[in-house]
Amino acid sequence: MKTYGFRQAARMERIKLTSVRTTWWLAIAAVVSMVASGVGVGLGYRSHTPIATTAQILNNSLGGAILAQLLLGALGVLLVTGEYGTGMIRSTFAAVPRRRVVLAAKVAVGGSAALMIGLVASFAGYLSGQLAIRGTAIPAASLSDGAVLRAVVLTGVYLGVSALLGVGIGAIVRHSGAAIGLLFGLMFVPTIVAGLFGEDGIAIGRFVPLLMLLNSIAVLTPTPGLFSGAVSVLVVGGYAAAAVVAGGLLLRLRDA
Amino acid sequence: MIELRELTKRYGGRTAVDGLSFHVQPGAVTGFLGPNGSGKSTTMRMILGLDAPDHGQALIDGIPYAGLAWPLRSVGALLDAGAFHPGRSGRAHLAALAASNDIPASRVDRVLDIVGLSDVATRRAGTYSLGMRQRLGVAVALLGDPGVLLLDEPVNGLDPEGIRWIRDLLRGLAAEGRTVFVSSHLIAEMALTADRLVVIGRGRLLAETTVTELAAGDDNLEDAFFRLTSQVTDYRGGAAA
Repeated sequence: MKTYGFRQAARMERIKLTSVRTTWWLAIAAVVSMVASGVGVGLGYRSHTPIATTAQILNNSLGGAILAQLLLGALGVLLVTGEYGTGMIRSTFAAVPRRRVVLAAKVAVGGSAALMIGLVASFAGYLSGQLAIRGTAIPAASLSDGAVLRAVVLTGVYLGVSALLGVGIGAIVRHSGAAIGLLFGLMFVPTIVAGLFGEDGIAIGRFVPLLMLLNSIAVLTPTPGLFSGAVSVLVVGGYAAAAVVAGGLLLRLRDA
Repeated sequence: MIELRELTKRYGGRTAVDGLSFHVQPGAVTGFLGPNGSGKSTTMRMILGLDAPDHGQALIDGIPYAGLAWPLRSVGALLDAGAFHPGRSGRAHLAALAASNDIPASRVDRVLDIVGLSDVATRRAGTYSLGMRQRLGVAVALLGDPGVLLLDEPVNGLDPEGIRWIRDLLRGLAAEGRTVFVSSHLIAEMALTADRLVVIGRGRLLAETTVTELAAGDDNLEDAFFRLTSQVTDYRGGAAA
């Protein structure tokens, strides 16, 4: 190699990602939140509603993704804003002046790490829900059932994509508090707005990340009117891509 | 060699750096002097491509910073003592930057040794004292064994031993034929460290000279500095009542 490029930047980002405690705490918290909701849901049904369906258990035991998406979104945000807040960004851009190479490396490294964490968290949520209902009359949801496997995998992918949305928002806003606040706002406010439209809200709701997660991605059968789980993940992926591209354009224009 | 051509930077209506042109030669320590707010740090950030000039350009051996093939191996910079993540160890900070420019991992241990941080390398950098942070910054600057060094106020927060260490280090690097450009507002320190001087005020070049020449007309370098900058000092205190 005659000059630095993506490979070098990605190695730098991997070292940066794994060498701060925040990464590990957020990863652990994401998995724990999925496990806790899985166990909580399983035990709840076990003691109060012993005649639940497979879908009820599965859908609800993946509910921890509401929290996990925020944690992994924050992980993505901090990949960028953590550098602006500390002054590290100047060291980074002095080492790799082509800023979009840095952003691409953050997307690749942060995205693949979040995807792995998301999949582990999602499977952990599913498994703990299933373990908690063992021995009851509630039918088990097997991963050999295509719809079950799809829901669990897509939830994990959605969590990975949340981190990329965070990277994009972080690159646009550059301030940790403001970026995390904006991310949380974007997750919850459209959900409330869609609710205001009652029955017609579904036309908006199928574009709203949180509603897609709870009614089309992390469920056995999507609510009628919503996109399929895979399409929903692609829509959220489109949002993340738009945020990253916007962040990339701004990175070039602004002083570090 | 560092070359500035008509370098200009405006923030809103205020001109921070105003048509600045000068050369920094290899083989000497060049001090960069000016009152607070005179544009020293802005100039250094533009040389490193961190801030975009509104006009003019800064070149490193004839190339803009952004065009360097391996930036850290050509230019080492100490911008401020806080350009690291406080939660990351000094060693990980250096390892990440080394990876970005294909600098071998053995070099990380070497620079930790040079700056005297080997014993605390695995501690989180946020726990370092100001002097240790400066040393970490110097380690970053030395990481790529660069021919050009830019240091913004390197002696800030260093104890007398540290100040002498920096002085000897910079003079040694210049003696090896490297270009060493050091900003400071500590004139006495510059008198001891620098061979050449670039003095600016309100973003404009006031003098490009040698330490000996500048001090020749007045009693000492400090008086010469005040004579040069008397019209361009923005913040000046009065006598206590």
